[in-house]
Amino acid sequence: MLDLAFKNIKRQKTRTFLTVLGIVIGIAAIVALGSFAEGINIMVQEELEPIAGKIMVIQKGSGGYMTGFQGSDITDEQIENIKSIAGLEDVVPMSMYIGKMVPMRGPEWVVIGIDITKGRYFVGENIEMHDGRDFVEGETGVVTIGKTIADRYNLEVGDYFTVKNDDFEIIGIYELTNVGDVDTGIIMPIEDMHNLLDTDTYQMVFVIPEDVRETEIIAEKIEDEDEMLSAVTEKEMSREVSQVVDQIRIMTFGIGAIAAVVGGLGVMNTMIMAVMERRREIGVMKAVGATNRMVLQQILTESALISLIGGFIGLFLGMLASFGMTGFTGGFVTAAVTPLLAATAIGFAFLLGIIGGLYPAWKAGKLDPVEALRYE
Amino acid sequence: MSKEHIAEAKNITKVYNPGMESEVRVLKDVDLSINKGDFVSILGPSGSGKTTLLDIIGCLLKPTTGKVVIDGIETNNLNDRELAKIRGEKIGFIFQQYNLISSSTALENVALTMRINGKSKNEAEERARKLLHMVGLGERLTHLPSQLSGGEQQRVAIARALANEPKIILGDEPTGNLDTKTGMKILNLLKDLNKEKGYTIILVTHDQRISGFANTVINIRDGEIIKIIKKRKGRGK
Ligand SMILES: Nc1ncnc2c1ncn2[C@@H]1O[C@H](COP(=O)(O)OP(=O)(O)O)[C@@H](O)[C@H]1O
Ligand SMILES: [Mg+2]
Repeated sequence: MLDLAFKNIKRQKTRTFLTVLGIVIGIAAIVALGSFAEGINIMVQEELEPIAGKIMVIQKGSGGYMTGFQGSDITDEQIENIKSIAGLEDVVPMSMYIGKMVPMRGPEWVVIGIDITKGRYFVGENIEMHDGRDFVEGETGVVTIGKTIADRYNLEVGDYFTVKNDDFEIIGIYELTNVGDVDTGIIMPIEDMHNLLDTDTYQMVFVIPEDVRETEIIAEKIEDEDEMLSAVTEKEMSREVSQVVDQIRIMTFGIGAIAAVVGGLGVMNTMIMAVMERRREIGVMKAVGATNRMVLQQILTESALISLIGGFIGLFLGMLASFGMTGFTGGFVTAAVTPLLAATAIGFAFLLGIIGGLYPAWKAGKLDPVEALRYE
Repeated sequence: MSKEHIAEAKNITKVYNPGMESEVRVLKDVDLSINKGDFVSILGPSGSGKTTLLDIIGCLLKPTTGKVVIDGIETNNLNDRELAKIRGEKIGFIFQQYNLISSSTALENVALTMRINGKSKNEAEERARKLLHMVGLGERLTHLPSQLSGGEQQRVAIARALANEPKIILGDEPTGNLDTKTGMKILNLLKDLNKEKGYTIILVTHDQRISGFANTVINIRDGEIIKIIKKRKGRGK
């Protein structure tokens, strides 16, 4: 009897409010933290977009994508070796230099050194220039930059950008691509990059197969050919990233769940008190024909109701927090409340209500009506 | 077991806390048959076992030995669920402390009993309204118990007891908390229900005056029936 349950939980307004609040905090934490994990997932998957259909070759045991492949140095000789594999459309060596790193927001800018005739492999074939022009062959000492970077530092074509101690003239600004590394990227000729890093090796090589369906096979061939190299495809990377993201998900859910379980204990406490206060009433219900089960269900309904109200409010506040976080990170992490996350939060709240209500409901169910009615 | 016996208790004993130091033998071999349409008063001093006996007849309490038959159904071997069903369908309780649900209106209190026994909310409230009119509370439907006098609360309780058209109405000192005048009104209401609607009524009391309304008076002392007085039909007030 849902109407009765509503009426009953309204009897002790302050107590119900505090109990609901306990659940709200826990569920909001689950939603907010979970949406952050989801945002990280989306962000990382987006970062992988530029290598879709390509193979990324790096030195085995070097640092990963997020560290700019530190310690990876692939020589020209190794690149010639890769080129000898059949079925390749192109082989594009490149190097990266991570500029300013900002906590919570990732790198503020990234320099990509690439054979400028093949820069489009990194930027994307269909991306237009927002202003200025693309590279011409043989050019050095110049850079093209992403829109985000241009906006952030108020840069225009003709301005100079300083990397380490060298100044580079900006010849073009790309339109917004919504791919992080392009929008915050500074593309420069690989020769300049070599000078900058004082090396003649490459951190990674993009290998583009003629037939996209061959991607996996070619990746294997590259690794067979040169055991110093590790060839990863988007699929593989995405799988690895997913594992990390899953760990983040579990961790954030764990933190939220602890808070929510504390809220669940509050529900249990409240329902135990409610059952004690309503002993006589429960006795009457039994005297007029209520079965143990009916009484049990009534108490469970009430505790589930308290929890669900908390769950929905928590979900709402968690979503607000999620929007807030997106703003706080300047859009670097777009926290997202997926339907699955929302359903998990509500389901968890419901579960807490049922588990928290189980003991008091069981006590109420087996309450002896004679004793309850005698009880003064 | 005559068919017209609506309630029978055979060789009932009740021992609280058996085997323990605090063991109390409350009922000793009580035999009782109640006819359809009877108005019975069980009279005895405080502590004589009246409430215990009423609870046993009302299937709220199991006797230690002996058997109880309600409307032809032997209740000894019934489980909790089946006993709840008998209470819901065949028995209406009235208590000394009224025992209304404090957060619910008069109407909701009466309706709840019917909803517990499977009626829909609308159906239950419809009948609750009629019953409250019948007991003279047609103007008090949406009052909370705290907004009603003791006599009015007991009328709500009577309406509640009638809700599922029970075979027997059991009252445990229903006038115990009321002043004499109000108590008499409640007794008159019960008497009318007995006379005009044919409800079987069993009241437990230590108040001699109530017996004037009954056609059968059972005297109980220390858990034993010491005297049963059956008045001739029509002599009750
Ligand atoms: N649950 C119980 N445990 C132990 N003793 C009880 C219990 N219930 C009632 N008694 C005792 O049984 C006796 C009869 O009680 P009761 O049936 O309430 O009598 P009455 O209604 O006539 O006053 C009293 O002495 C009372 O203390
Ligand atoms: Mg008593």
